[in-house]
Amino acid sequence: MNGLMVDVRFRHRGFSLDVALGVPPGGVTALLGPSGCGKTTLLRLLAGLERPGDGVIQQGGRIWFDSSRRVHLPTRRRRVGFMFQQYALFPHLTVADNIAFGLPSKRDRLARVNLWLERLHLQGLERRYPGSLSGGQKQRVALARALAPEPDVLLLDEPFSAVDQGLRRDLRLLFQEVIAAQGIPVIVVTHDLDDARYIADRAGVMIQGRLRRLGPTEQVFAQPGDVQVAQVLGWSNLLPVAGVDQGHAWGGWGRLPLPASARGRHPDRLAVHPEGPRLVSDGDGLAGQVTRVMGLGRRTLVICRLEDRTPLQIVLTDGCAVPRLGECMHVRIPLDCVTPLHNGSLP
Amino acid sequence: MGETFACSPGAWWLSLQVAGVVLVLFLTLGIGLAYVLTLPIPLRGLLDSMVSLLLVFPPIAVGFVLLMIFSRHGPVGGWMDEMLGWNMVFSFPALVLAAFIAGLPLVVKPIQAAIEGSARDLVEVSQTLGKGRMATLILVVIPAVRGSIVAGLVLGVGRSFGEVGITLMLGGNIIGATETLSLAIYNHVLDGDFTCAGHVSAMLGGVSLLLFLLLQHFGVRR
Repeated sequence: MNGLMVDVRFRHRGFSLDVALGVPPGGVTALLGPSGCGKTTLLRLLAGLERPGDGVIQQGGRIWFDSSRRVHLPTRRRRVGFMFQQYALFPHLTVADNIAFGLPSKRDRLARVNLWLERLHLQGLERRYPGSLSGGQKQRVALARALAPEPDVLLLDEPFSAVDQGLRRDLRLLFQEVIAAQGIPVIVVTHDLDDARYIADRAGVMIQGRLRRLGPTEQVFAQPGDVQVAQVLGWSNLLPVAGVDQGHAWGGWGRLPLPASARGRHPDRLAVHPEGPRLVSDGDGLAGQVTRVMGLGRRTLVICRLEDRTPLQIVLTDGCAVPRLGECMHVRIPLDCVTPLHNGSLP
Repeated sequence: MGETFACSPGAWWLSLQVAGVVLVLFLTLGIGLAYVLTLPIPLRGLLDSMVSLLLVFPPIAVGFVLLMIFSRHGPVGGWMDEMLGWNMVFSFPALVLAAFIAGLPLVVKPIQAAIEGSARDLVEVSQTLGKGRMATLILVVIPAVRGSIVAGLVLGVGRSFGEVGITLMLGGNIIGATETLSLAIYNHVLDGDFTCAGHVSAMLGGVSLLLFLLLQHFGVRR
C-alpha cells in the first residue's frame, strides 16, 4: 500500500489547521473549500515546505514527518511532484530543460523528456522558453516537469485557475487520463467545483482548517452533511428554519412539511433542490414573486422571492410554462426535493 | 585626457584595484548573503536590519566604528596584531573593506528583493524536484535574478568608487598609499588645485554616468 497517511496540526498567526486524512494510490482526491480555509497550507505541509506543529505524515512505509520521533524529511527527499498555482516554470530554461530539471541522471534524459512532451501534447515546443507559451501550454509543462521524475505523490494547487474557461474542459480530461495512469496518490486543491467533479473520484471539503467531509465525489456533492459544507459545494436555496411543529418546519418564507426521517428534530436550514419545484398560479405552496427569468439552453432558471424576500432558485425543464417577470405565483415543492440540514460544529 | 590622469595617476590605479577586488567580493559574499537572507535561518532579522542600517547610517560614523574595531587597540585589530603581527588599518585591505561595507546593502537589497519576489516559488519547485540549497542557488536563483544581480553590482561598485567617509577613517588618506580617486578630489581642493579637482571630478562623474547607462540597458532587457 503506497498511500499517503496524514494526521497533522499546524498553527500560524491565529490560523489553526487540524487534519487527518488518508489518500489511496491510483485515484484523485480533490480538496475544496473557500479561500483561506487552509487547503494550500495542507499541501505545503505535505511537501515539507512548511513544518507541522505536531503529527505524522507517512507515505508507503516511509515516514516524512513524525513530531514524536523528531523526523522531518526535507522537501527534496520526499519525492513529491508539486504543481504551483502560477506554475513557477524556470524562466531561463527551455521547455525541455524545465521538464528535465528533476531527472537524476543524464543517461535516459532525452528519452524521458520526449515521452513527457508526447504525453502532454507539447511536441514542437521543446526549445521554446516559458515566456512565449500560452497559459494552457505552461500548465502542461508544469505537470510534465512534476511527473517526469516519477514522484511517489502528486500535489496540484489550483491547477486550472490560470487557464481560460473554454480550455479547462479539454485540459481536465487530459489531466485526468495522465494522472490516473500514474497509480500514485494525487491531491488537487481547488475552489472550482467543476474541477472536483471532472477529475476527482474522492472529494473533501475544508472549512477553517478542518476537513469537514470526505468521501466519493458524487456522494459528497449529493449529501453534504451540514449547512456550511453545502454552501461550499454550491447548494443554493438554504431556507432558514425558525421553528418546527406537527411535522412541519416554518420561517418567514412560509411552511413546509419535513421528510419522515427528519421529524421530531429541529434542522437549521431546509435545502430545496432547484430541479423539482413547480410554479402554479394558484392553490397551495409557498407564495412568491418572480424576480428574474434566465434561459439556460433547454432549461430556464427562475428566481422567486418568497414572502420574506428570501430568493428561491428554480430550474424549469423543457415543456414547463415559463412565468412572466413580476408575476405572483405559488411554488409547490415535492417532499423529496427537501433536505433538512444542521449547522456544522465549528472549532 | 592625459592631463587628467597626470593629476593623480596613483589614485586611478588604486581605485581600479579596489573596485576589482570589491567586485569579486560582491559576486561571492554579496550574492551569498542575499540568498541567505531569504532562507528561514535564525537571526535572519538581525542580519537583515544590519545590512539595511548601513544605508542610513552616516558613512563617517560607520568608518569610525570600524576603525575602533580594527585598530590595534580594538577587539578584532588587537587580535590580528597579536596573532598575525599585522595591522589592517591604513592599508589596501582597509580600503577594500571600506568599499565593500559601503556598497554591500546596494548589492544585497535588490538581489534579496528579486529572490523573495519572483524566485521564491522557483526555489520551492527546485526543492520538490530533489535539488538542495546550493544546487538551487546555482541552477535556479542566480540565472533567474541575473538582471537584479547586474543592477546590484553596478550600484555597489559605483558606490564604492565614490566612497569617502569610511575610506577616510579606515584608510587614512595617505597620499601615494591609500589615496583613492574620491579622496584625491578632496586633497586637490585642500591644496587649492581646483583644475585637477575639476578634472578628476569630471572623470569620476563620467564613470558613474557610464555605470548608470549600463544599468538602464540591463534594466530594459530585464
